[in-house]
Amino acid sequence: MLYYLLMALSSLLSIPAIYLAVEERDLVKAVIFSAVQSTLYAFLYYLLMAPDIFLTYIPVGVGLYTALILILIKKTERYESD
Amino acid sequence: MEVESFLFNIVILSMFVNMAIALYGIFTRPSLIKKIISLTIFSDTVNTLAIVVGFRHAIPNPIPPVVVEIPPSSQYLRLFVSRAVDPLPQALVLTAIVIGLAVVLFLMFTTLQIYRIYGTTDVRKVSKLRG
Repeated sequence: MLYYLLMALSSLLSIPAIYLAVEERDLVKAVIFSAVQSTLYAFLYYLLMAPDIFLTYIPVGVGLYTALILILIKKTERYESD
Repeated sequence: MEVESFLFNIVILSMFVNMAIALYGIFTRPSLIKKIISLTIFSDTVNTLAIVVGFRHAIPNPIPPVVVEIPPSSQYLRLFVSRAVDPLPQALVLTAIVIGLAVVLFLMFTTLQIYRIYGTTDVRKVSKLRG
């Protein structure tokens, strides 16, 4: 019961994180919201009994994607125009 | 069991909502970097949906697809078959995550090269410029 409740909670909390990541004009803030979404998905993978995906997804989704997109933003432009 | 099914349906439904928001981001946002962020979110959501397909409602709780008793006794194998989740989607998703990382790296270097040549990452400005 608690198990399924946590699963539904983490997937429901990922909806506003994704919406804010898509709508945000400052790209650094968008990347941070994307990292929050990745953390929630990693927790969901753990609850869905996929420990190997959990161990792979934490460094790739939270670490590597965030670091690479931040390097890309540093080399290009930070704000998205209208 | 009714409440568990309802909560699990919330998970599936929110995955489809996330897919819709990520596709909206890919198609309508002008910045190439925002398109890359939306693409990573979309691929993660599809991977999660594939893992959700392999999940099963076992009583009292499902167990990870790892055999811990070697050599396994027949009683342990019966418990394992009745309660473990499906490992095949997990193996496929593990491959898809690594391939997705390579694809995103390629798109990032393409974006960097577009910025070096055209001086902008806005697709509307890039489509107007020539040469």
